[in-house]
Amino acid sequence: MKTNALTGDVLLGLVPIALVIALWQGLVSFGFAPATLLPPPGLVFARLLQQLVTSTFHHEIAATLIRLFGGFSIAVILGVSIGIAAAANPAINAVVRPIVRVLAPLPKVALYPALLLLLGFKHESKIVLVAADALFPILLSTYYGASTVEQKLIWSAMAAGTPRREILFKVVLPAAMPSILTGCRIGLVISCIVVFLAEMITSTDGLGHMLVTAARTFQAVDMFVPLITISLLGLILNGLLQALRSYLLRGFPEA
Amino acid sequence: MMSAATLLKRTAPVLACVGLLAVWQFASLVLKNDSFPTAIEAIRAVPSILTDKDALINILASLRRMAIGFALALAFSIPLGLMMGRSRAVAAFFNPLLMVIYPVPKAALMPIIMLWLGVGDVSKTLVIFLGVSLPVIYHSFEGAKAVEEKMLWSGAAMGLSAGQRLVRIVLPAALPEILTGCRTGLVLALITMITSEMIARQSGAGNILFNALDMGQYDTVFAMIIIVGMMGICLDAAFERIRARLVRWSEPQFDMPLSFS
Amino acid sequence: MIEIDRVSQIFQTSSRKDHLALSDISLTIEDGAFVSILGPSGCGKSTLLYIVGGFVSPTSGLAKMKGKAITGPGPDRGPVFQEFALFPWKTVLGNVMYGPRQQGVRAADAEAQSKALIEMVGLKGYENFYPKELSGGMKQRVALARTLAYHPEVLLMDEPFGALDAHTRTRLQNDLLNIWERDRKTVLFVTHSVEEAVFLSDKVVMMSKSPGRIRQVIDIDLPRPRRRTELLLDPRYQKYVVDIERMFDDSDEPASNP
Ligand SMILES: Nc1ncnc2c1ncn2[C@@H]1O[C@H](COP(=O)(O)OP(=O)(O)OP(=O)(O)O)[C@@H](O)[C@H]1O
Ligand SMILES: [Mg+2]
Repeated sequence: MKTNALTGDVLLGLVPIALVIALWQGLVSFGFAPATLLPPPGLVFARLLQQLVTSTFHHEIAATLIRLFGGFSIAVILGVSIGIAAAANPAINAVVRPIVRVLAPLPKVALYPALLLLLGFKHESKIVLVAADALFPILLSTYYGASTVEQKLIWSAMAAGTPRREILFKVVLPAAMPSILTGCRIGLVISCIVVFLAEMITSTDGLGHMLVTAARTFQAVDMFVPLITISLLGLILNGLLQALRSYLLRGFPEA
Repeated sequence: MMSAATLLKRTAPVLACVGLLAVWQFASLVLKNDSFPTAIEAIRAVPSILTDKDALINILASLRRMAIGFALALAFSIPLGLMMGRSRAVAAFFNPLLMVIYPVPKAALMPIIMLWLGVGDVSKTLVIFLGVSLPVIYHSFEGAKAVEEKMLWSGAAMGLSAGQRLVRIVLPAALPEILTGCRTGLVLALITMITSEMIARQSGAGNILFNALDMGQYDTVFAMIIIVGMMGICLDAAFERIRARLVRWSEPQFDMPLSFS
Repeated sequence: MIEIDRVSQIFQTSSRKDHLALSDISLTIEDGAFVSILGPSGCGKSTLLYIVGGFVSPTSGLAKMKGKAITGPGPDRGPVFQEFALFPWKTVLGNVMYGPRQQGVRAADAEAQSKALIEMVGLKGYENFYPKELSGGMKQRVALARTLAYHPEVLLMDEPFGALDAHTRTRLQNDLLNIWERDRKTVLFVTHSVEEAVFLSDKVVMMSKSPGRIRQVIDIDLPRPRRRTELLLDPRYQKYVVDIERMFDDSDEPASNP
């Protein structure tokens, strides 16, 4: 019964995707868009499959993934530790709050030229940009989660003899986990978006660079391949995060 | 009467700004890099940009596109997200498509959209609309899904129709989460605005920024960073004001540090 | 011995007005005594318990345990909160084992002890359930087991049986009395039920509201061990219940006055 409903949901979800592809095919077939501007979907997916086995394409994906993971990991480590520290310690809080207030809304892409000038055109500048953009959603949700931990959970642990310095790891961190993972999810999507954009702006490799090269030479088919690839990458990473989430939050009502 | 503590709290963001500028100033003096002007040099270049009529029109045009894109996105995404949250079928229908689109950088669609709609306002506004929509839909969806069933039951018992329940119960209950989505949307709107202008290279703040970078006018680059940064900070402050008004009831006691420390 | 010496508690409310939740409370609780606190909702029963637990420090006055001022929580005083406060990321067994593990008991021993306690509160078979999968009454029982697991000398129970059905309630009352008669723990027990207070306690503390004060302390002079069925027919028991209920009725204070 349950699996039936689930397959039903999946099928229902495939409908709009199929519709989009059909619309796309229709636009091409009925001549609304010249194939040079909008290549037929069959051609794009064929090119994607063909590319998937080439080593240059692997190289581009690897470059993008390194930057994505590098930046995202830095953002998670910094965001979670600063967020928890700010929730637990009034002195750190007093320093972190105003700085976050100023830096969080700053569009970090605007800093990219500065990063390029300071860190060069290689991985570093892009990793720092991704980290800077993914950091704040993670930091803010960690802080929110850690500062709204139910008081009585902390009291219960203290009464059971947990020393104060262990409360942070034994109660605050696990209790804030739903919030932290929500932040990570936003951070991950932003990382995908930003790494691609950074590569479009200046790069010698990576998926974003592929798109720019294709656009320069008016290879419409090749423009779609990196876009679909980043979408699939995002989908896979999101799925992994989701799996991690349902494992870590198996006890929480909201999971 | 304002105590020293509240005074310090009010001015803390300003102090943070000054502190960050001081770090910048110090770093640039130490690094002595030609392409890294000092904070003071960059600030000096700000007025010349803001008094330049073309540049000002460009920046205002950017803001206008962003406002329109943002407003359209909210009007479209919040109802969609709420309906997805309350109806399993609607969610199953839209969710996969949205999950496919979410990680795609909308500004990267610029080259393709430009081919269709030209390099004008429409393309750029559309791209911002797309960029803002997804987080807002996603968070409205999550917020609406988390609304307690029993609240809706009491609503139904009081005789509210399904539509009324959506507006009168689900919307306010999901509001904190929706606003989280709006904030992510605001961040993405700024990112998208700047990069789309940088790609279209026709007008706007992003265009000025990257043109200056290409031409090696580093003072202008950093002055533009300050201007764009101030835009972000002001928009965020305005947003925060509205948010605080709307969801006062759900405010956690942020000023209260955890009591074990 | 727990001594509460002229304790007052003032809360700052969000409208910035001071709210006197407890006013000048003095109370002595002998070692091994079972003391219940009765009073209208909002009279400060929970707050008093938190002060003894060391979670809240009183605005003025002092709470002492064994002659030493209480400055913070410790495993000698085990709370069972009105809101359960189970760790949502741990299973029933994980919740109950938390205390013993924290005290340095070996994992295997802690598990065996915890399983016995879980069985005692009638939740055998639910060891690997998460709190979200339990009913309110079941959560309440896990909370009780979690606190008993680290053998506190004093139990601070905040309406622990409030969420239970009459049958389970009676069973757990008997179990609690058995544990108490065996270990002679000191128990500070908040309840809304006059019968429950008289049945369990040596002493019933009646509080009144706005501000929270002690109205009267009544010694319950009934023989132990107490059997519920016998007690229900005992005229002395009936008199205590009726007297206390009359006293609450006579008070002209409205039940819910801010
Ligand atoms: N953290 C707090 N801030 C402000 N006021 C509080 C706080 N905690 C309790 N109060 C107030 O103190 C009074 C006593 O609260 P308390 O929770 O101790 O009551 P109670 O007797 O346990 O009530 P109940 O039987 O409903 O549990 C109440 O009027 C409440 O509004
Ligand atoms: Mg209470």
